[in-house]
Amino acid sequence: MMHASMDDPTTPAISLRGVTKRFGDVTAVDDVSLDIREGEFITLLGPSGCGKTTTMRMIAGFEEPDDGQILLRGHDVVGIPPNKREVNMCFQHYALFPHMTVEENIAYSLRLKKVPKDQRHGEVVKMLEIVRLEGYEGRRPGQLSGGQQQRVALARALINEPAALLLDEPLGALDVKLRKQMELELKRIQLELGTTFVYVTHDQEEALSMSDRIAVMNAGVIEQLGTPREVYDHPDTPFVADFVGVLNAVELRVDTKDGEDAVMRIDDAERIVVPAAGAGEGAMLLVAVRPERIQLEPGETDGAAGSRVTGKVAQVVYLGTLTQFHVDTRIGKRFVVHRLSDEGTAGVAEGDTVTLTWTREDASILRESV
Amino acid sequence: MNPAISKGGRRALWAMFVLLTIFLYAPIVILIIFSFNNREIVSFPWEGFTTRWYHEFLRNSELLNALKTSAFVALLTAIMTTALAVPAAIAFVRRRFFAKGLVSGILLAPLVIPLVVFGISLLILFNTIGIPQSALTIAIGHIVIALPFAILVLVPRIERIPPSLEEASRDLGAGGLTTFRLITLPLLFPALISAALISYTISFDEVVVASFINGEATTFPLYLYSQLRLPRKLPAVIAVAVVVMVVSVLVVVASEVGRVLADRRLERQTGGSVEELALSGGKG
Repeated sequence: MMHASMDDPTTPAISLRGVTKRFGDVTAVDDVSLDIREGEFITLLGPSGCGKTTTMRMIAGFEEPDDGQILLRGHDVVGIPPNKREVNMCFQHYALFPHMTVEENIAYSLRLKKVPKDQRHGEVVKMLEIVRLEGYEGRRPGQLSGGQQQRVALARALINEPAALLLDEPLGALDVKLRKQMELELKRIQLELGTTFVYVTHDQEEALSMSDRIAVMNAGVIEQLGTPREVYDHPDTPFVADFVGVLNAVELRVDTKDGEDAVMRIDDAERIVVPAAGAGEGAMLLVAVRPERIQLEPGETDGAAGSRVTGKVAQVVYLGTLTQFHVDTRIGKRFVVHRLSDEGTAGVAEGDTVTLTWTREDASILRESV
Repeated sequence: MNPAISKGGRRALWAMFVLLTIFLYAPIVILIIFSFNNREIVSFPWEGFTTRWYHEFLRNSELLNALKTSAFVALLTAIMTTALAVPAAIAFVRRRFFAKGLVSGILLAPLVIPLVVFGISLLILFNTIGIPQSALTIAIGHIVIALPFAILVLVPRIERIPPSLEEASRDLGAGGLTTFRLITLPLLFPALISAALISYTISFDEVVVASFINGEATTFPLYLYSQLRLPRKLPAVIAVAVVVMVVSVLVVVASEVGRVLADRRLERQTGGSVEELALSGGKG
């Protein structure tokens, strides 16, 4: 019973089953269940206080759950201290030992395992190659830049070949440009080693760019688990939709049904259409559409299919590649629209009347009520 | 220069500083002068420079024994106090426990309890439970007096060691003791030295408590005090006091310089982010 699962590829690397953690009156993690596959890059995404860090610290062993099981490659590890768990962690501010050299930092776990010195050195050199810091063995952490310290922390956590690497907002302390670069590096290292990565962040861009799957957390529960595309394109809840990317959401009553589609009429020429097999006439739908899915045309136009809303441009924000239009629509809701900056929308200015259109597939329903 | 202070105000502040310095150091300067005065009685006039008082104290075996006793008591105090202060300080900074305020109050109380009262209490206690008085009982008394100082020296340093360093060590496979030995202790080392030196100095010149519980043992301050009745021996006593003082000052200055340098090094090594690290404890 204790062994069979080790090499079984269907056994999750990490399995959370009904995990709950309370701090006093606050339930930080509330009955969370999650299977993390072997070799997967999974991100726990959510605002601060959502329970993502606590969840990670429970996997590492720094917190013990009040309830539930945590299985590491099939074995329950609840009650086992962090030094006896087969996972390693990358800390938010790297937590490199300041009184040790880069080599001593990276070889720390090998030294504890009494690996002979020359063998240790070989391993360190190999790890430094993987994180592209060749020749830095003798430096001290204080002599390294933030990005280099990050690489040392990675090497130190990976040298032990852990069952999973836990990363706690590892890029938070870096500037934007370096962060983008490290995102690619992290992904490269993860693919190269095939290690399971559990990544905690509040940054949705990081989550979208690196993850195989994202678990969006809020108030101690996982609101949605899915691939970046699923989470971004088809958010299950208003929270997910709002937290992952900018979002336009509007609550309207269904006027008529057109086959599978629910139609919400604003006037003769304007309407919102959304696929809604289950919703009948008279139901209230919270409909969402991403800013980049909306087409923007100057003036009032009309056409046949899809959704169509007119409005007045309140603000134009030039973002470089994109231009962001804030449009006060006829339905009383301000919409945000992203268009490529080199398009014909360049002439659109504040105060202009514009028409916003999008197809039926681009909208999704976040909530339905009668 | 602070433009908010007028020229007159600045002069007044300087004058105050100078007066305060004289007030603090004049007695010490006088002592040094008299230790070189070639006169049997400790007073002016100046009768010529001599080092004979220094030679005399080196021949005084009673005095040298007292110095030895003091050195032993102070060393014992320094080692024991530091050994006790480290776990106490770590507990204060890292752990939450029942009645923490009360416990810290009890540990720091010796700072405010009058030494005379404490000395009498110890005397009664040792008599009641039948512990013979000796250099060891003096050391016990001194450990209690020095402990709050040692704790107060260690606490700020521990506060600046990010808990994530200890967590990283645990995460990488080290148990609690190994983490303490390989991570906490080396980072704590400069403060450890400071705590030991402070305990040493406190013990070395403590006379009140020692006078109650010394038994047959005579420490240097006790000897000094007893010699005040014999004016003939006073010049030599002053000479040895000067030596002790100079040595103490050198040791304290050296340790402070060492501590500041070590602090700067830690600062550089961690890229000045130690505080930042310490603040980013548990969240999420």
